Amino acid sequence: MTRKNGETKVSASHHAEREIIVRGISASPGIAIGQVHFLRGDVAAVPPRKIAPAEVELEIERLERAIEETRAAMLQSRQRAMAMAGTAVGRIFDAHLLILEDQELQKEVRGRIAREQFSTEFIVYDTMGRTIELLEKQMGELFRERAMDVRDVRAQLLRFLQGGPDAAPEHPDEPSILVAANLSPTDTLHIDRTHIMGIATDLGGPTSHTAILARSFEIPAVVGLGDISARVKSSQTLILNGNSGKVVIAPTAASLKEYRDKHKRYQQLLANLAGLRDLPAETSDGHAIELHGNIELPHEVESVRTHGGTGVGLFRSEYLFLTREAPPGEEVQFEAYFKAAEGMWPGPITIRTFDLGGDKLHPGRSALAERNPFLGWRGIRVSLSHPDLFRTQLRAILRASVKKNVRIMFPLIASLWEVREAKKALDEAKIALRQEGIAFDEKMPVGIMIEVPSAVILADQLAREADFFSVGTNDLIMYTLAADRGNEMVAKYYDAYHPAVLWAILDTVLCGHKAGISVGLCGELAADPLATALLIGLGVDELSVSAGIIPEIKKIIRSIRFADCQEIAARARELPTAEEVRTLLEAEMKRRFADLPIWFTTER
Amino acid sequence: MVTTVVAQEVTLKNKLGLHARPAAHLVRLAAQYKSNVVLVKDDTRIDAKSIMGVMMLAAEKGATLTIECQGEDEEELLAKLVQLVEDKFYEE
Repeated sequence: MTRKNGETKVSASHHAEREIIVRGISASPGIAIGQVHFLRGDVAAVPPRKIAPAEVELEIERLERAIEETRAAMLQSRQRAMAMAGTAVGRIFDAHLLILEDQELQKEVRGRIAREQFSTEFIVYDTMGRTIELLEKQMGELFRERAMDVRDVRAQLLRFLQGGPDAAPEHPDEPSILVAANLSPTDTLHIDRTHIMGIATDLGGPTSHTAILARSFEIPAVVGLGDISARVKSSQTLILNGNSGKVVIAPTAASLKEYRDKHKRYQQLLANLAGLRDLPAETSDGHAIELHGNIELPHEVESVRTHGGTGVGLFRSEYLFLTREAPPGEEVQFEAYFKAAEGMWPGPITIRTFDLGGDKLHPGRSALAERNPFLGWRGIRVSLSHPDLFRTQLRAILRASVKKNVRIMFPLIASLWEVREAKKALDEAKIALRQEGIAFDEKMPVGIMIEVPSAVILADQLAREADFFSVGTNDLIMYTLAADRGNEMVAKYYDAYHPAVLWAILDTVLCGHKAGISVGLCGELAADPLATALLIGLGVDELSVSAGIIPEIKKIIRSIRFADCQEIAARARELPTAEEVRTLLEAEMKRRFADLPIWFTTER
Repeated sequence: MVTTVVAQEVTLKNKLGLHARPAAHLVRLAAQYKSNVVLVKDDTRIDAKSIMGVMMLAAEKGATLTIECQGEDEEELLAKLVQLVEDKFYEE
């Protein structure tokens, strides 16, 4: 479980040492230990340096050379990103090229060098700084993202001005944790993967560029850590736990040992688990579970396969908005969905339609208007109020279903009419495709996310409209307990093991099974090894987790008996508090499976 | 010397207004011509060949802009730009 910005000070009684634990958002799994390696998210301020009038021409030549070199580097970045993460990620760099090539900006910089006679570095720093300031003053996420782009371009340009790319990313020569306020896509792309063992940033969410690229590269990462970059010192030791979203600053000798052991055993475990890859996710008494992976980028299906997943339980299609451009067109979407479907075939992939806040569509506007975005215009609500956008996505998904292994699901369903509307739109898209003679799967299963309490209450009715359910625990917990885990004042009220949450899952399963449909679970709870036996005992048919977690969960599933799971679940659901549920699970799991991996991949 | 300017008023009809991709489209098109182009919105005038200028204009759907072109290929450029806006930047 991740908590944001919470913090616990732990003092080791036998030492004067004091370690600090900072909680952030887990962005990419794995454990890393290393020295702090700073990457200042931005360049240091450039002081004004006067030049002689005779030097002006030379300075302008330097500017022009640096622009050329930066352009070449950007084109390379773009190509590299496309090769590694696909077209949509590569497009991030298109915006950078346009800014670099901005004629007005170049004219202004040249003009100022000639008029004011300061060094090119200073004029570039100052001129672009004004733009950054102006952009940051504007309302809306889009302007802030653009400001970040201008910053990124400025940093690259200054690197070349100050002596070529070698002067830029100082690569550490020992195992390090990269610490930064924020990482730009360029920084993340050029991380030295031999020495950077982990990434810790002040800002960012689970779908930020950093998070997506880190997962792609399989580097453990924790984001949203508040002010960690200001709190750590160079060469201080850090422990980073990308599974739990925690960072330990200046760990005590005891903690270090504990984590080194944990890390070692984790590595051994991963090596052992590799042997499970082709074995089914089935309990020892023969109860089969669909064990699937969550993905954002089409190429991640490879990772799901190599980790032994048999399908994709959640393809977060929002990644297509990553480039912050206009909504992606039908072809771009089709290409992405089809690539994933083809890569996973014959295993199924479940594509969730855009689950976005409205701010991505109307930059600036909804950010202002919505005081409470979690209760606002997002998920299926956005899709239903944008028929064009929705139709484009439905067509792309349908076209990708031609090999009959695609399932579609709708996020944030709160009422029956929303399902009917969404299915109506889907039927219309099918009619149009038929008329155009374009092939698709006529029987593509249609599912809904169960993440709003009203959907749990009405699960009986909803089950008759859907081909499957997928419980999104992150939102379901938040809405059921009315607690935003990102708000440290109430983070402790957000608890996956709250009895109300267990009952919500159980109710959903019972209603689903009564209607003969399968019930999956795709939130973070699915990836918590402590919960596996409980969830299976509650009757969940499918678990979908990030690819790296699949082997551990499979190991647990294969080690337990379904009958035991049912017994654990039956006892857990009678307990009145989350604390008691957790205590029960820990005791049961420890008693029955002392050698299971859960004792070192999660911390308690 | 008498300098002439050709100008036309347009209303943004595309969903996103002059953000991101539409802005990029417009700047790329303008850059292919020799004439100068200024976009006017309310009291703000910006160079349409500058992506940052266009972004700062923050023109949303429904905003009315005046496109002013000046130079040897001004007529053709103006026509192309108006067409681009009318075609909703090919985004739909």
